[in-house]
Order: sequence, then structure tokens, then C-alpha cells
Amino acid sequence: MKKLFLSTCFTIISVAAFAQTKLTTNTGHIKFFSSTAVEDIEANNYKVVSNLSEDGTLVFSVPMQSFEFEKALMQKHYNSKKFLDTKKFPKAKFKGTISNISEINLKSDGTYTAQVVGDLTIHGVTNPVKEELKLTVKGSKVTATTEFYIVLADYGIAFKDGKPATNIAKEIKITANLDYK
Amino acid sequence: MAKYVKIFIAIILLALGVVAYFWFMPHRDVQATKAFAEVEAADLVNEFITNRTKANQRYLADDGDSKVLVVIGIVVDQFKDQSGQAVILLKTNTTDQMGVSCTFTEETNTQVAHIKIGDKISVKGVIRSGAEIDKDLDLIEHVVLEKCAIIN
Repeated sequence: MKKLFLSTCFTIISVAAFAQTKLTTNTGHIKFFSSTAVEDIEANNYKVVSNLSEDGTLVFSVPMQSFEFEKALMQKHYNSKKFLDTKKFPKAKFKGTISNISEINLKSDGTYTAQVVGDLTIHGVTNPVKEELKLTVKGSKVTATTEFYIVLADYGIAFKDGKPATNIAKEIKITANLDYK
Repeated sequence: MAKYVKIFIAIILLALGVVAYFWFMPHRDVQATKAFAEVEAADLVNEFITNRTKANQRYLADDGDSKVLVVIGIVVDQFKDQSGQAVILLKTNTTDQMGVSCTFTEETNTQVAHIKIGDKISVKGVIRSGAEIDKDLDLIEHVVLEKCAIIN
């Protein structure tokens, strides 16, 4: 009887220890937007994969060729060697943590402002980033939304004068919506 | 009209034609494109796991119009993405760690209504990125196929 009780206790404890909440999504949405006097450019990606752990670890991977533009020619230019070179760098990645995770309860309904710190790698170049993420917890679902800017030149994406320099802003607005379960 | 004026107008029209061609260039019709290969989900996944650089080289294109593939597998999951498109996850064996994620289009979403978990199907679509186990990020990534349609 004592043996059964102890072994049951150990089983419950070990299951609880390994059951760290790891929220995941593979239908995250990222949009990027560039505005210049010449034209506005927008592209959407609905294939973002991301994990958000209870300890605040936040990671995501973006398949670069999944960004869709309205204009086919624009999409070709974006993928080309001269620009994002997506055949050579098919994924953009982020690895970071929520520095104020102690103030956030992913199991309690509510809205939280998370301070995210980490490394963002695009086009083979890694830069440290520090941005805010809004987390909305509702039952077992957590939605993370954020808006920030990146400077293309910081990621080795620079271009000479003329097209596309005049058509693409040096700073691009990134909007993300990650639907975790 | 003077001959020069006619030539001038012809050149202007030609220039406008060229601009219009590029401006209105349609996206590639994936379903109308001949498939590069027909593969089992697990074989495609393994190609990327074994040698990612070689697989990217083989399947991805510089301009984003990457290879069109027909992937065979068992439906292990079915859901919608944030743009409202149907997504199906195919695996060769239901116990495989990774599979091929297939996203449908507005035109082909309705095909998914007849599909249920456990069905073995063939899907044609364009590859966007390969399978990967990212140890650094502790992230598992399936192969991503888009602009899909069921073809059997």
C-alpha cells in the first residue's frame, strides 16, 4: 500500500515537472509595410512558426518565400539575390525572452505588456532587438501582437540609387499576430 | 500625320505596353505548372534533414517561384490559417515527427471539406521552405507547401 502511494506520488510529481506550458503556433501572421513618396509596398506571411514557453522563452521562424505581394513583379524582386536572397536565406529567425515574465501569468485571462529581448536574424545577419509585445490570454489561447520597425541596411539589405531605392523605404514596419494554443 | 509623329506614337504605345506587361504580370499559376516531382511526405522531410543546403538548392528558386511538387501522405491535422485558408498536415506515418504542411487557396479550400484525418491523399503545391529541427530555438518546422489542391 505504501509502495503504491509513493509510486503514485512520484508519477504525479514527474508529470507535473515535465508539463511546462509551451504554447505553439504554425499559423502566425507577419506583415511588412514600406511607405515612400513613390509607392506603398505591403506583403503578408501566414506561415510563421513560433513557441512561447512558460519561462518566457520566445522563438519564431519565418519562411521568407511565403511573403505574398499583390504585384508578381514585386514578389520576384523581393526574393531575388539583389534583395532578400530567399533561396540562400529561406528563413528569418528570432530567439529571445520576455524579460518581465514574472509579471505575466499565461494561465490567467488578461492583457499584459511583455518586454521582449532577443536576437533577430534576417538575410543571414543577426541583430539584437528590444521590443514590446502585447499578450492577451483567454482560456487556453494566447495572442501576441506587436509592431516595430527594422532598418533594411542593418540586415545587409542596401541598394544603390535608382529603383528600387526610391520605391522602398529604408525603414520597414513589421506587424505580427501570433495565435498560440 | 507626319511620318515622325506616327513613329513617335508607336514608340509611346510600345513603352506603355511594356510597362503594362510588368505592372500587371500575373502570379504563376501553380496548378497549371507541371510538377517537378512526386514524393512521399517523409522522403521530402528527410531530404531537408539530411542535407538542408542541398535540398534548398534543389527545390527553391531565386525569384520565389520554387518547385511545384506533388506530395503523398496521410492527413494528420486540419485547420485554418489567419487568412482563412485551409491547411492540412500530411505525414507518411502518423508517428513521424515532421510532415508537409499544405495551404490551400480561395479556389481550392472547398476540396478540404471532403477530407478527414486518416485519409491518404496527394496534394500539389509550391514549396516555400523545408523541414528543420532547430536545436538552438527548440523548434520543429514542417515543410511548407502553398497554393495547394488535392489531386486524386
